Amino acid sequence: MSIVHYQLSIILITEFEGTISPKSAGVRYNANYEFCFSLFMIIARKKTLEIWEKSPVWKDVKRYWELLSVLVPQNLKVRYRGSLLGIYWSLLNPIIMTVLYSTIFGTTFASYYDDSITNYVLAAVNGLLVVNFFNASTTQALVSIVESGDLLNKIKLPIPVFPMSMIGANIFQFMVGSFPLLAIVTLVKTHSLFSVILLLLPFSLLIVVCTGISLFVSSLYVFFRDLSYFYEIATFVAWITSPVFYPPDIVPEAVKPFINLNPLVPVIQIFRQVSLEGRFPESIYLIHGFCSGIIILTLGWLFVRRVQSAFMDLL
Amino acid sequence: MTPEAIRLDHVSLWRRTQEEFSYDLKKTLFSLLQGKYTKPAKKQVLNDINLVVNPGEKIGIIGSNGAGKSTLLKLICGILDPTEGKVRVRGNIAPLIELGAGFNMNLSVRDNIILYGVLLGYSKQEMLTRTLDILNFAELNDYADMPVKSLSSGMKARLGFTVATDTEPDILILDEVLSVGDAKFARKSRQRIDHLWEKSSTILFVSHSLEYIDDLCDRAIWLNQGKIAFQGETKEAIDLYLSHLDVKEYTHNN
Repeated sequence: MSIVHYQLSIILITEFEGTISPKSAGVRYNANYEFCFSLFMIIARKKTLEIWEKSPVWKDVKRYWELLSVLVPQNLKVRYRGSLLGIYWSLLNPIIMTVLYSTIFGTTFASYYDDSITNYVLAAVNGLLVVNFFNASTTQALVSIVESGDLLNKIKLPIPVFPMSMIGANIFQFMVGSFPLLAIVTLVKTHSLFSVILLLLPFSLLIVVCTGISLFVSSLYVFFRDLSYFYEIATFVAWITSPVFYPPDIVPEAVKPFINLNPLVPVIQIFRQVSLEGRFPESIYLIHGFCSGIIILTLGWLFVRRVQSAFMDLL
Repeated sequence: MTPEAIRLDHVSLWRRTQEEFSYDLKKTLFSLLQGKYTKPAKKQVLNDINLVVNPGEKIGIIGSNGAGKSTLLKLICGILDPTEGKVRVRGNIAPLIELGAGFNMNLSVRDNIILYGVLLGYSKQEMLTRTLDILNFAELNDYADMPVKSLSSGMKARLGFTVATDTEPDILILDEVLSVGDAKFARKSRQRIDHLWEKSSTILFVSHSLEYIDDLCDRAIWLNQGKIAFQGETKEAIDLYLSHLDVKEYTHNN
């Protein structure tokens, strides 16, 4: 029933969009026509909006949003117990790591960064914050479905909301903790506010990648409770294959294609181009990043959908 | 003719038995490599259930432990999907299965009311306006900002009951929770149930207290080993169930 309804609304929407494009019909239109057209656009838009609001997809989106709006603060409250300053503790790890790696590798690798250790340090911070976000959010999401098992046995809830709420908590944490740091770096390097705003582009890519992986591993964890051990290895692989503390150029040509399988590689490169070089990211990285992000998210989502009917017997 | 509130057609449910499942990637991989992997066994929990509940009907469900009573309720709530057959439910359901499952012990009572409410399907905005009423009814005003773990178990049950019954759901599902808390609150909660009862919401009620069932329900279902052994007149269902128990006890003693 509901699927039929949804398809119907889609058809209606596409029909509206199909009939309101005078240019494609090759009509030479005057100002009067344009006015009528824009009026029609408004009416049509309103109509499609109404249809959209009634559609089950919209209801689902709203339900997810409501659930996330309570689950994310809950995660944060439990984690920080009233003191948001706790978020800044989470910066301690990347800062110490950066200092450590810079003192050890800094002088060796500086030649790849215009002979400047500062540039090396800033590139390292960029990469490290990305990898840290990835590790923290997906590792926390890993157990999220199993931990909500009790709840899922009592109330009907959409399962993907639990890994997503972990991602949500980490987004907040990133925006409060890491993002100001990145913004300062960007401002100092590029003197451009636009670049700071542009940082949200690679960050949203990062979120897409992490959500997809979280959906996948948290479902898998329902079946295999020793997965956290294997996942630790997987995050370590992701960490080493990401060019965080080494310049990507030192990787042998033969190995590069494999390194590029790591979805964090384009994300880190885009982050660096925006924040250190102050330019719009190269399209090759954007395409690479978006494609892998969308593929991972779709696969993760489909995987949960596919296996979730088996969850309830195991939780 | 009014459409039925709940309708189950030929519903069967097979569940995986948790004991046999290894939950272990390492073991599963090894058993796959050695060719010893066997598909996890499944057990039939519900067998060809046909049930129609009309709006406003109060139905009691009886049966011994493990007969599938709670599983049946879970199917109706949509928590479980049937292996075969079809479950149709019209209207919103308030499940009252083991109160307090949704509580986060470290959060305050106030936060938990909103959390639990949203989990049950209400909007956050709605819950914010209802928080005070809920605190009042549950008599937990003084505890509003304390973490739930500092409440006694009776208080937690009171809180869960109040949140779940605060609005008038179309279908209320009660699993052994008619009276919670101390004598005073038990009376209050009983009144609220009576009110919901009068408001003619559909109620499914699982209890081992046959008196309650006899007292409150129009119709009863006796579930035995995943099958509906009898459905109809409450008294008859209880008698049949009891005589079945007697027979079992008799054969057991001999």
